[in-house]
Amino acid sequence: MAEQEILLEVKGVTKRFPGIVACDDVSLDIRKGEIYALLGENGAGKSTLASMIFGLYQPDEGQIFMRGKEAQIDSPNEAVALDIGMVHQHFKLISNYTVTQNIILGDEPKKRALGIFPYVDIKNAEKRIEELSKEYGLEVDPSAVISDLGVSVQQRVEILKMLYRDAELLIFDEPTAMLTPQEIESLLQIIKNLRDQGKTVIFITHKLDEVMEVCDRCAILVRGKLVDVSETKNTSPAELAAKMVGRDINFSAKRPTKAIGKTVLEVQDLRVEDSSGFPKVNDVSFEIRAGEIFAIAGVSGSGQTELADAVAGLTKVKKGSIRLNDCDLAKLNVRKRCESGIAYIPEDRQSVGLVLDFSLDQNLALKSYYQAPFCTSSLLNPTAFAERAEKLIEDFDIRCARGCKTTTREMSGGNQQKAIVGREIDQDADLLIFVQPTRGLDIGAIMAIRERILDERDKGKAILLISLELDEVMDLADTIGVMYAGQMLKVAPASTLTTNKVGEYMMGVTEND
Amino acid sequence: MSILNVNYAAILVDGLSFALPLLIIAIGGIYSERSGIVNLALEGLLGFGAFAGALFVASTVGLFATGSDLPMYLSFAFAALGGALFAVIHAVLCIKFMANQVISGVVINILSVALTGFLTSTINATFFGEASERFMLQTSPRWDIPFLMEIPIIGAAFTRVYPFMFIILIVATFFWYLLYKTKFGLRVRAAGDNPQALDAAGVNVSRVRFGAVVISGALAGIGGMSFAYSISTNFSPAIYMGYGFLAIAALIFGNWRIVPTFAACLVFGLTRSAAFQLLPVFDASAAVIDLAMTAPFVVTLLLLAFFGRSNKAPRALGELYDKSKR
Repeated sequence: MAEQEILLEVKGVTKRFPGIVACDDVSLDIRKGEIYALLGENGAGKSTLASMIFGLYQPDEGQIFMRGKEAQIDSPNEAVALDIGMVHQHFKLISNYTVTQNIILGDEPKKRALGIFPYVDIKNAEKRIEELSKEYGLEVDPSAVISDLGVSVQQRVEILKMLYRDAELLIFDEPTAMLTPQEIESLLQIIKNLRDQGKTVIFITHKLDEVMEVCDRCAILVRGKLVDVSETKNTSPAELAAKMVGRDINFSAKRPTKAIGKTVLEVQDLRVEDSSGFPKVNDVSFEIRAGEIFAIAGVSGSGQTELADAVAGLTKVKKGSIRLNDCDLAKLNVRKRCESGIAYIPEDRQSVGLVLDFSLDQNLALKSYYQAPFCTSSLLNPTAFAERAEKLIEDFDIRCARGCKTTTREMSGGNQQKAIVGREIDQDADLLIFVQPTRGLDIGAIMAIRERILDERDKGKAILLISLELDEVMDLADTIGVMYAGQMLKVAPASTLTTNKVGEYMMGVTEND
Repeated sequence: MSILNVNYAAILVDGLSFALPLLIIAIGGIYSERSGIVNLALEGLLGFGAFAGALFVASTVGLFATGSDLPMYLSFAFAALGGALFAVIHAVLCIKFMANQVISGVVINILSVALTGFLTSTINATFFGEASERFMLQTSPRWDIPFLMEIPIIGAAFTRVYPFMFIILIVATFFWYLLYKTKFGLRVRAAGDNPQALDAAGVNVSRVRFGAVVISGALAGIGGMSFAYSISTNFSPAIYMGYGFLAIAALIFGNWRIVPTFAACLVFGLTRSAAFQLLPVFDASAAVIDLAMTAPFVVTLLLLAFFGRSNKAPRALGELYDKSKR
């Protein structure tokens, strides 16, 4: 690409939050008409940097130049006036408004009825939005109500919102986090279109393949510091990954199985039905032994989550038995099951795993607050909470701005997950259930959590791992069970199965047995 | 007295004269709540508005020609002003200081009762030289609407109507238009659904919410003044009859939307007037009149039991707007 004029320049920008430097003396320039990636782990400062460009935060030090002129961006309003737009990770849409109402909000076209009464001119706005959506290939019905639309369409509305305001620099904050693979494909195409029509894009992500596919240049942030800017065509995913995590990454974490012991969990003829009587788990039987990772593969909705919930005691069992260390669990409630040796890392970490508005130390004691030393003679003991939390923060490298008093809502997803994993492992249970433990996390956090799972196995724990990521199943499992439509289609040692074979079972193919 | 002698015209017109002030108070509540601020202070706001309007009338006796209706019309402007000013307390507490909106509302109700009672007695004693806890108002004129009143059955609704009913209809129409057709209205409704989105669109959420709460005070003030004219022809602490809470019930049944809320107000108004006219048919004792007063509240309880689940509050209602929340 030829030398081009520079649209945005960031010079020596630093932003501190209590207890953390989110952005540390970052300088970069963005050329007109390029797609520029900000790559980094969760909490590396990508979003903070983008938020400063968009005026949500103000830098403590440093300057931002737009089109060569120094810009004081104190609010999103000023960013918009400078033709900067941003699609936030969590969409900023009014759910009961139409697409058009959402797009014009804050910049409403006015008209006067009978020359006196001002009103918002929805009709003209709709026309303009239709034109924009044709021009940029963003299919959307301007009169549809947001709550009726899927995630990817809502995202298009967010993009249209920027285009409606004539934004020239478009910031996308982790835009693919909530999309399916097909949707990601079409979003990346849209972003390329935008560039081809002369827009400049800042693309925030922690997914390397996306960077390789669409971005022209890529800046890597590690713990708030800019470590490298490279042309994507001159680099490789492995190189980027190494820089991003600050060390070489072993993409395959395979470790040999140690001694496998006695049976810990035994599930027999388990049947779980949904509210309408449809079997979600259909006569499933398997066993997990000490020192073994039993991984369940399957496409989403094959009954894996229900199975895990049934073992943990969160769902009613229709028939069949669940035995832990030869004890029948049927009559035990959730707390009794925890005490008898089950740790559970749920799929939805924010609503099931944590009480988001509680502090970290309280969350870390959610399973044990009622026992000594947290609670003695019915009184809670705050020092015990803090001590345990400090220990887990240290052991599990949980990064939090204000130590154990940080509200978990303020923490990044990866650190929230590390907190849950830490809490559950600390229970020292015989059986650990991991449901989608690495979903939505960056490479560093994924690696840390996978290491932990292997460590626990090597300590002789039985592990039930449920994951939609086939790679994860293949990398970690000693034994693989494949679920399809509520049934356990195949159980076999991992060493006897190939990725392709497991993929076939996941689709329900069994005939070549 | 037989059922044939019941004054059906009175049921209609009394029902309307109760329903319309209730509606304007409820519209005030809708503005505040659609912007995301819980407003339990309507009762206190309507009382303080009526106090302000009545104070204006009481202090300008003699300035206007006897029999002039002008002070009455002006009193509504002052009631709106008084209500708006009192609502500023709620707005400042909830928006600037992020106080709990329910507690703020309850406190304002208590403050309003005590403050207006104290001020009324003190002002009467100091300036007018009489020991009274009320401000007298002149009797409101009542109009018969030519032609319309001759329509069979519903024509009764156009006899002996209060002028304030027209004031309310005009003001209500204006605020319906403002909420659903204009820029400001679009922003108010957005603030109560997803304030973060409104903020990201470059609109000052606090300012929008402040405006909405002040409007709720002004409208409640107009409603309170209407009750002062229609129910008692004076201002006294007896105005705190719980009608502010009835307005809240009406707007909840109306799903925080103006037209359905109007329907709910009509149900309450007609229940009340019908109870007044019909109950004495069966029993003439005074206790029955007291029972009649409870009719709208009994209807509220019944409706709550049946429709309580079907309504949808604004999504961000009562949520403090905090930019740092993820």
